[in-house]
Parts: sequence; C-alpha cells; structure tokens
Amino acid sequence: MFAASSDSGLQQTTSYRVVLPFYIFAAISFLVACILLLINTDSVHLHYFHPHTLAITHLMALGWGTMIILGASHQLLPVLIEGKLASYPLAYLSFILASLGIPLLVTGFYLFDTGLILQSGAILVNASVICYFLNVITSIGDSKKYTVHAWFMATAALWLFSTTFFGLILVFNFSRIWLPENSIEYLSVHAHMGLAGWFLLLVLGVASRLIPMFLISKYDSPKTLWWIFVLINSGLLGFILLKTFVVDKSFYYAPFTLVFIALLLFIFYCYKAYKIRIRKHVDEQMKISLISVAMLLLPMITLLTVIYFISENSKSNLILLYGFCIFFGWITALIMGMTFKTLPFIVWNKVYHTRAIGKTPTPKELFSEPLFRIMALLYLGGFFLFLGGIISLNDMLLKSGALSLAASAFVYVWNVAITIFHKPAR
Amino acid sequence: MEVLSNNNLYCSAALAGLFNVFDPEIGLNVVDLGLIYRIDFNDNDKTIVVTMTLTTQFCPMGESITADVQQAVSSAFKDYQVSISLVFDPAWSPELISPEGQKFLDR
Repeated sequence: MFAASSDSGLQQTTSYRVVLPFYIFAAISFLVACILLLINTDSVHLHYFHPHTLAITHLMALGWGTMIILGASHQLLPVLIEGKLASYPLAYLSFILASLGIPLLVTGFYLFDTGLILQSGAILVNASVICYFLNVITSIGDSKKYTVHAWFMATAALWLFSTTFFGLILVFNFSRIWLPENSIEYLSVHAHMGLAGWFLLLVLGVASRLIPMFLISKYDSPKTLWWIFVLINSGLLGFILLKTFVVDKSFYYAPFTLVFIALLLFIFYCYKAYKIRIRKHVDEQMKISLISVAMLLLPMITLLTVIYFISENSKSNLILLYGFCIFFGWITALIMGMTFKTLPFIVWNKVYHTRAIGKTPTPKELFSEPLFRIMALLYLGGFFLFLGGIISLNDMLLKSGALSLAASAFVYVWNVAITIFHKPAR
Repeated sequence: MEVLSNNNLYCSAALAGLFNVFDPEIGLNVVDLGLIYRIDFNDNDKTIVVTMTLTTQFCPMGESITADVQQAVSSAFKDYQVSISLVFDPAWSPELISPEGQKFLDR
C-alpha cells in the first residue's frame, strides 16, 4: 500500500553556510544603495548615463537583486529541480568572486574609473556567474528531471551569463573601441537581457513553485508556465534582433506585447493559486510578495510610454522611472517579502534541526513582525514619494522618498540581523 | 485521514504524542495535516514503525519533523525502538487534512 523509498527518502537541503553569506551581502548592498540614492537625488535631473546612476543601478541589480536571488536559488534549487545542489565549493567560489567583484564594479562606475577598477570588477563578476551557471546546469543534469521549473532556472542562469558577459564587453569598450557604436547604444540590450532574461524568468520560475506551496494551494498548471517561458524568451530574443537589425522603433511593440501577455498569464496563475488555497490566512510576507506581482505592471506601463515617446529627447527621466519601478519597486518588494519567508527557515533549520520535540519557536517567530510592518510602510511610502519626485522632478519629494527608502533599508537590515543571530532560549 | 495500525489501543497513545508535533510553517499538527499514514507495533521485538510522509519530498523542515515524530512516539513508548518509514507514494495532498485541520486553516 505504501511504497518505501530506496534511501531515507528525504532530499537534503542546501547548507545554511552556502546561503547566508549571499543574504548578508545583499542586505548591506541594499542599505548602501539607498544611502547613495539619498545623497545623489540630484542625479534624477541628469541623463540616466550618469556615473552615480550607473553605480546605484549596478549595486541594486547585482549587489541586492542578484546576490539574494543567487543565495535563495542555491537554497531552493533542490525544491525546484527535485535534486540536490551539485557542488558546494562552486557555490562558495561564486560568492567570493561576486563579493569581491561587485564593490569594485560599483566603485568603478561611481568614480567613473573605466580602467583597472571597473574591468577587474567586471571580470570577477563574470567568473562568479560562470561558477553559478555550471552549478545549476550540473545539478539539473544530475537530477535528470527536466521540469518546467528546471528550464526556468537553467535558461535564467544562461541569460545572466549573457548579460554579464555583454556587460564585460561594454566595460572594455569604454577604453578601447571593440563595438561599432558607443557603449551607451547597447545599454538597452544589456539591461533587458538582465531584467527579462535573468530577473523575470528566474523570479517567475521560483514564484510559480513557492506561491502555491506557501498558500497550500493545489493549483498547478505546467502548460501555463511553459507558455510564460516561451513568451518571455521570444519577446527578449525578438527585442535583441530588432535592436540589432531594424531601425523602425514601432516594431518594439511586438516583443513588449509578448512579455506583457506572459505577465498577465502569471498574474492569472497567481490568482488561481490564491483562489483555491487551503490556508485562508495570508501572512504579511506573502501579501507584500503578491503586491510585488501587481507592481510588475508599473514598469510595463512606463516602458510602453518610453516606446511611445522614443523619438523624443526628453525621455531620460522616463527611463529613470522605468529602472526605478523595476529595481526599487518590483524586485525590492518581492525580495523584502521573500526574505522573511525563506531566511527564517534557513536559520530555524540551522538552530533547531537537531533539537527534536520541545518548546521551539516557529520560523516566523525568528524575526520581528512589528519591524516588518514598519519596514513595509516606510518602503511603500518612500517608493511612491520618490516615484512622484521622478515624474514631477520635485527635490522635496525625491529627498523625502529616498530618506524613507533608506529608513526601510535600515529596518530591513536590522530585522535580517535579528533573524540571523537568533539564539535558542535557555 | 484515519491512521492505520495493527493495534488501535497503542495507536491512540502514540497519536496523543503526535498531536504535539507541528509542521513549523503551517502551524498544524502532523496528524491533522495527514502526514501520518500508519503505525505498526511489534510486541515481540519491541519495535514501532511509523509510516509517514511530508507535504513535499523537498520539504526544508523534513529532517526536523521526522525527528520530532520519532521522539514523540519514543516518549510514549519508552521500552520500544521507534523507526520512521518515510514514503512518498501515495504522495501527500490537501485532501488528507482532517476536518479539524481544515477548520484551523480556515481561520
């Protein structure tokens, strides 16, 4: 009646030693990025290709978004690919290389030193990404389960490598002309490889597994997920081809539409999972994660406006708005929610896995819920104030928004520290 | 779901302990969650086998939950050797949650 497993039947999860350094680095990066935003709000009045804007963007994209996603994906890889992480040394190496490379890269941009600092940073980041890519591919190969989630993971990792490698070429193009045009002309391709190929694909792949799991929902639709996968990749490849070979900008509506349909399908997927959930109570972390799904629509609307006004010279602050909505909006909201959904589990397993029955706190008791609420309020307030500041170019709104975001980052780091340094009661 | 056993009296005693073992994420005990499939007692060699599952084979709390189950049953039957047989066929599904468990999740 009950089929026994050949081994213990229990899939080993990834050690906390691999995962926690990524979370710590990401938290510090977020705080630093918010402080840089606060002291550089005047950059909003300038062109988006400004050294300080490039530094903040790369700190948010690599130090915050990518580092925490790398950490979480090392932890969640067994759940997603139904196998185990192939190599711990590669994971450690990936962290070490990235933690050395990202500060160099960001400093290079901030000082606009396009020589050794920027170049060595870009090389180290690429080396880190190669380690991660090899680890993901080998893990999937070992598990021999080529599910839709595994495809999301592998393809996202490949896009990440494509993004950082293209970024490396752009960095070297600053000091010696390798490409037919100036590096600024290729920024949109580099950015969208990372945004759609890496962030969007990976986040949707992971969230499509985690959201039903945390809601205890029976909903599963691999067919919908395959459609999302195909639409995003087609949209991105279409955009790159159009950007390379076609001059008429009106064609950009086609890849935009493909990605937009993919997002609508994903929102529908989340709605179905939410609707038939077994667990009625939705906690604060899940709420902010679900809000982040809706926040995806903001950059899409901005992008549509950017495409519409693409021939205008005054689109610089629209592009800033688009980038801000992605990095400080969608990605940050998602990470804030998911950090306090995944980190307490990692720490709980570290502290309590050997302590059988007895008075043990639940994972959600490992962080402060009041602090989480304060952080969420400061974040949402700061996000919308800064958003208004970019649209109206109002310094007061920009400063108060940035201050509120920096305060939320400080509370975030504080709560992460509370979780990581949790000690069992005597 | 009803927990199967070859000794209903002993099974009730074991379940009393297992009602105190909770899935840390869901906050529901493992019995009402439907994770316990069967408990077999062998008086001759003083052994107990708990056949159970997890909500997913890749459950990050799996090691901890199975350790808690083993200790809960061991506490109720101090002279017995308790072992866990972890199975994923049949796989856990939300239909296995008891009506009491469902009430808890409806709150």
